[in-house]
Amino acid sequence: MVVITQQREKCIGCNYCVELAFDQWRMSKKDGKATLIGAENKKGFYTLRLDYEVFDSNKRAADACPVKIIKVKVI
Amino acid sequence: MRKIKNIELMAPAGGFDAMQAALDSGADSVYFGVDQLNMRARATMNFTLGDLEEIAEKCKERGAKSYLTLNAIIYNHDLSLIKTVVNRVKEAGITAIIASDQAVIGYAKSKGVDVHISTQLNVTNIETVKFYALFANVMVLSRELSLRQVKEICDDVVKEDVRGPNGELVKIEVFGHGALCMAVSGKCYLSLHTNNSSANRGACVQNCRRKYKVIDLEDGHELEIDNEYIMSPKDLCTIDFLDQIIDTGISVLKIEGRGRAPEYVATTIKCYREAIDAFNDETYSKEKVKDWMSRLETVYNRGFWGGYFLGQELGEWTDSSGSKATVKKVFLGKGMHYYSKAKIGQFKIEAQQLKVGDNILITGPTTGVIETTISSMRVDDVAAEIAPRGSEVTFQVDKMIRASDKLYKVVPAEEVTD
Repeated sequence: MVVITQQREKCIGCNYCVELAFDQWRMSKKDGKATLIGAENKKGFYTLRLDYEVFDSNKRAADACPVKIIKVKVI
Repeated sequence: MRKIKNIELMAPAGGFDAMQAALDSGADSVYFGVDQLNMRARATMNFTLGDLEEIAEKCKERGAKSYLTLNAIIYNHDLSLIKTVVNRVKEAGITAIIASDQAVIGYAKSKGVDVHISTQLNVTNIETVKFYALFANVMVLSRELSLRQVKEICDDVVKEDVRGPNGELVKIEVFGHGALCMAVSGKCYLSLHTNNSSANRGACVQNCRRKYKVIDLEDGHELEIDNEYIMSPKDLCTIDFLDQIIDTGISVLKIEGRGRAPEYVATTIKCYREAIDAFNDETYSKEKVKDWMSRLETVYNRGFWGGYFLGQELGEWTDSSGSKATVKKVFLGKGMHYYSKAKIGQFKIEAQQLKVGDNILITGPTTGVIETTISSMRVDDVAAEIAPRGSEVTFQVDKMIRASDKLYKVVPAEEVTD
């Protein structure tokens, strides 16, 4: 399993995560920030648990994030 | 008789403290960003959309204009956000927006919100000025133009009667002071290339400010080029030829620095205010320039040069990684109370001690910037020479201080090690 978290408020809307992990990320047309699809908001930290197969793409998204607000942890 | 032209002095505001400092120091207008779509998106001190009313009101109270920067590159997913921002600008009574993307310019025009053309659009000739005059009343010229080129554009605006949507002649604006970067008017790919962090989305990591080596891949020899930071220009300073800048016919002088501290804004705006006023009353002189220069050197700078105005072909590169400011601030403590009748401020000393004779700096979101020297003080209500850490100290301050204020000691830079 992997846990993906995003500190959404700090997102600057660069679109990298969407390009690198399209299955989990979309740009919100509402506020121009990235949305982690299906994630639960825990005090501003959006969190999602998924199977290990999404690790690589989301790790790439986390590495590319210019404001370093995405974390991918294996549990 | 020389015609006196009122140059608008435009100040940067990264937060309420810097904005207050700008207004107190004589700025005619301030510019600021909100949330992510401006060129300082990384700055933690950006305002939020909820602050717009307070900003507009504080500026109006002082007869100053307020401009919101909305000048990042805009993607499809940003379109709804820019509409929200422009609508809020209109509701809150912010004077204008500074824009570079056509999506922003077009929407603002359709809503009757005044537009300034950002330097990101690289306006370098009169035909471009005419084109954007269909949308905007004020335009910032590209930072790479010489004085002669600036003058020619200003003359052509008058000659060809180029008017903006408000029916008045288009106002030309230039950058007068602050950081420059090696990219043409800010369009830079370097930070995106190394860190996926686009300067054009306001997320520049400033890697140009570092030192670089050239490595010969055949024999591995490493060369450092003249020991200079070859991608990091010195900061722009025009105060020593401000008379020539004003003579070009520009209407607005912009000071860079939304990422700078409030005391930087205070010092810089005060100097340029005095310089513009001196030009107007014909007392602009070499002696005054010397004084302004030495004051400007006290705050953050990478060394100064005159930019491209004077016709240099290449930038002058800085020889330091950070600031060459001649003074630095050391945090001492926080504001507690102000006895307004006696004009006495009370502070809690939390870090280093305060001594009689120290030059101090007080900054805060409502206070702005206060600079003064301690002539006498009382510690725990007894006259004292030193206020140690942990003590409560009172001393004379002419302006009101608040619990949100921070107290600093100002010391020569060489006394501080980072």
